[in-house]
Amino acid sequence: MSLWQDDREIIRAILQGRKELFSLLVQRYEDRIFNYIYYLVKQRQEAEDLAQTTFVKVFFALRQYNHTYEFSTWLYSVARNVCLDYFRKRKKQEMDLSLNVSVNGDQDTEMGELLEEDHSPDPLKVVLDAELQEKLRIAIEGLPVKLREVIVLRHLEGRSYEEIAEITRLPVGTVKSYLHRARKKLKEDLRGYVE
Amino acid sequence: MEEKEKKLIAYLENLPRLQIYEDFAARVMEEIERKNRFILRVKRLVVVPLAGFFLALMLLTNLPTAPRFEISSYLGYRRIELVFYAPSQNPKTVAVAGDFSDWNYLSMDKIRENCWKITIRLRPGKYQYGFLVDGKEWVPDPNAPRQIADGFGNLNSVLVVDGVDGE
Repeated sequence: MSLWQDDREIIRAILQGRKELFSLLVQRYEDRIFNYIYYLVKQRQEAEDLAQTTFVKVFFALRQYNHTYEFSTWLYSVARNVCLDYFRKRKKQEMDLSLNVSVNGDQDTEMGELLEEDHSPDPLKVVLDAELQEKLRIAIEGLPVKLREVIVLRHLEGRSYEEIAEITRLPVGTVKSYLHRARKKLKEDLRGYVE
Repeated sequence: MEEKEKKLIAYLENLPRLQIYEDFAARVMEEIERKNRFILRVKRLVVVPLAGFFLALMLLTNLPTAPRFEISSYLGYRRIELVFYAPSQNPKTVAVAGDFSDWNYLSMDKIRENCWKITIRLRPGKYQYGFLVDGKEWVPDPNAPRQIADGFGNLNSVLVVDGVDGE
């Protein structure tokens, strides 16, 4: 096993003075954190800036990291807080104002009309063509932010229910419920593709 | 799990991830370095002058620079040695009595000719006391810096144990 495969080993070395090793952690998680943030804020430039803010904050808070948890889970939590700050500052539309808004409003972006034709590709191949990728991204971005967050964490980032609960500070049952509702909405929006 | 759901999850899990720009890690490290330099500058601008200010305070004034804790007044007793010296007489017994002993007599030890001693344990405070020579003569401590009338025509000596009154 490579010396720097374990996040905790890297963190220990950084705290002992080898600060340059932090770039290994950044490289390891930059795309994952960027994707997570991107699907929350839906703007590439903002997501890049917020991802940078996240890593800088993590570096200066590294002594507060509790080694009993996965480093990546903590990293997502910090990213989430950075996004919350961003939403507060921006005071955007009510939907994006806070991750704490109700998700009951179903008057979100409707994608269904655009996807009436059956373009369903072979699910075993699961190589998504450019059009489907675009539709899927738009459908995800059209979800209420709470549902969007859990769908990204679960299916794009591969986090467990427990990890998502930890990151979002929601009960596991609520996470499952949000996921169910998010998938239902996505199926509706992508009905031409998932028939 | 229904077929549609499986298909959707497969789509989601195979959705290509967006990639951040190439030198992102280097930019993060630069930003960290920039912040570190800023913190160092603040330390130099604020901490060093503050340390100098307190040093000057210590050297140029007699203000207390650290909190003083009078722990002994809450915790402990002090060992007090009372000595009675009688150059012009040679008493057979000497005892001491004071409000620290509820005016009960405590026998003193003869340590040499005309010299008697007792060691008592007292909490910090102010006490009145005197010596009883040969069981009949009440004598205030000739070495005590302060004496006070006892209201019965005699004098008591005043003993101050450091820690409370500061007398």
